[in-house]
Amino acid sequence: MSLRRVRKLAWRVMRQVLRDRRTVALIIFAPILVLTLGAILFRAEPAPVSVGVVNEDEGAYSPLGGSINLGQRMLDELTAGDAFRLVILSRSEVDDRLRSGDVKAVIVFPEDFTASFLKSHQVVLDLRLEGSEPTRSKAIIAYVSQAAMKTMARMVGTYLGLSGSSPQGGGEGEVVLPVSAQVTYLYGGEQFDTFDYIAPVYIALLGMFFVFLLACIAFLRERSQGTIERLAATPASRFEIVLGYMFGLGLFGLIQVTIILFFTVWVIGIHYKGSLALMLLVVAIMAVVGINLGILASAFARTEFQVIQFIPLVLLPQALLGGTFWSISDMPTYLQPIAYAMPIYYANVALRDVMLKGWGLGEIWPNLAVLAGIGLVLVILSSLMMRREVA
Amino acid sequence: MAFEPVLETIDLHKHFGKIHAVNGVTLSINSGEIYGLIGPNGSGKTTLIRLCLGLLRPTAGTVRIFGKAIPNKMILSDVGYMPQAGALYEELTVRENVAFFAEMCGSHEPAWIDEAIALVGLQDRARSLVRTLSGGMRQRTSLACSLAHRPRLLLLDEPTVGVDPQLRATFWSYFRRLAVSGVTLIVSSHVMDEAERCDRLGLMRQGRLLAEGTPGELRKQKNANTLEEAFLRFIEDDSERGTR
Repeated sequence: MSLRRVRKLAWRVMRQVLRDRRTVALIIFAPILVLTLGAILFRAEPAPVSVGVVNEDEGAYSPLGGSINLGQRMLDELTAGDAFRLVILSRSEVDDRLRSGDVKAVIVFPEDFTASFLKSHQVVLDLRLEGSEPTRSKAIIAYVSQAAMKTMARMVGTYLGLSGSSPQGGGEGEVVLPVSAQVTYLYGGEQFDTFDYIAPVYIALLGMFFVFLLACIAFLRERSQGTIERLAATPASRFEIVLGYMFGLGLFGLIQVTIILFFTVWVIGIHYKGSLALMLLVVAIMAVVGINLGILASAFARTEFQVIQFIPLVLLPQALLGGTFWSISDMPTYLQPIAYAMPIYYANVALRDVMLKGWGLGEIWPNLAVLAGIGLVLVILSSLMMRREVA
Repeated sequence: MAFEPVLETIDLHKHFGKIHAVNGVTLSINSGEIYGLIGPNGSGKTTLIRLCLGLLRPTAGTVRIFGKAIPNKMILSDVGYMPQAGALYEELTVRENVAFFAEMCGSHEPAWIDEAIALVGLQDRARSLVRTLSGGMRQRTSLACSLAHRPRLLLLDEPTVGVDPQLRATFWSYFRRLAVSGVTLIVSSHVMDEAERCDRLGLMRQGRLLAEGTPGELRKQKNANTLEEAFLRFIEDDSERGTR
């Protein structure tokens, strides 16, 4: 083995990388970008969830403690925590506010809430959930139940002259009050788990990812093998070329999203409510967006190596900012406009609306229109970018 | 009645940053002639061809093909272009490549495609994938791609680079046949024996057209026995003028 040769080889490799300024820039900036985004998002304090409260409790008279109002006490307990932003509602508003997504849950304390507790020594919470985010739904149920337990414990402690208020302490002789929640879901349901919520994103991201790479590399090859120049010397316009690519690769995008969708639904067995055809339409439009994004990105790449480096630059921000794991409302305000520029966000929302809420075309069309609009803008941008290489 | 030139350029310039790649070229090429653009590597031949096709925007000057100002996408259906590098789809067959480019130029005649493939002698390999072909066969496929829509003007950028002498002779006999049938050809080359086969020549150096004429005229101008000798003298004289 000759160290001299190894040194020369290493020198040559370094020279090559250094000559490729874009690669050097990507090596430096891509991880910084991804790390910064991750840090911002993981550290961001989630915005408090809005929970509606309908308090019709008229209270009751207890021989032990005089006049009490359990609904009001629970309300105080819930207000004391900072996880929720409580919104006082009237009963007639409940359905509309849940449907609009204004509030994620509503707790209803009926007129006889205290009275029925005093009679049965049982608290039955009437909890109505919006339900499209299973993780959030579970957190709300847990938090509200806990608040009810604390309220009960405090109250019993006060009336029975016991100190301490933790019902969760365990151990014999401590007071544990039965609290149960009567939960109803506007969308989704108990059987919906976190993956059901993540699945739409997963589908949209996968549907976009592979066609993005395919389009990017196919178009790059068109340039590297010189056929784009030959094509430019024919009457074919740039717009026609981009459209040709869109339809040609679109077929494979469509086959792929069909496989992704059917596999997720039938093999992995996610729960979904709406129409499968509508889901396919959303993912198909997303695939078209992926193709055009790929064609556009290829204009900025000289080598296939650079295409691979687009993954952290183009796709990771989509995954992080597109409302996949963090709701846009939980993001810092300066990131929100960028998040709204991510095509995947609109596919996510539309897919979730179909899959979790069972919405139809009539309801999801605005998001579909934005997605299709982004696709169209990308087609135009790709055509314009080609001008740089072929007049 | 004066014949309108098939292709003309008027005081054409192209800058790439500080490099003056094409410097005031004025050309006029007539119907049915084989015009050779001769010059060393980097003399601006390819840039000139790309300007003529509208693939590059000139910094100054104009190009006209069949009397129409370039860029003009529609005129390109009457123009054939063979770029220097292969520029073929490796995953497609010879016939698929030829048919694709013909279709892009608006020609839908299967017979013309077969004819172009036969002209370059690749009938037996028409169904072969381009990636399985030898270098010479690729060049022939590339030529067929520029012919199948029966253009009236052909721009061939170093069509015989990497081609063996026998095939080169075959190519030139195609070119002559095409010219006789009325097609105008512009062929760039830096090989002198090819220059002899052209009707007229333009000698390029550092983006300028140094001299123009028939091979005989150029030899005569410099009192040379061969074109090579004549070209060397043109270049020498030009260098002297440059240093003076």
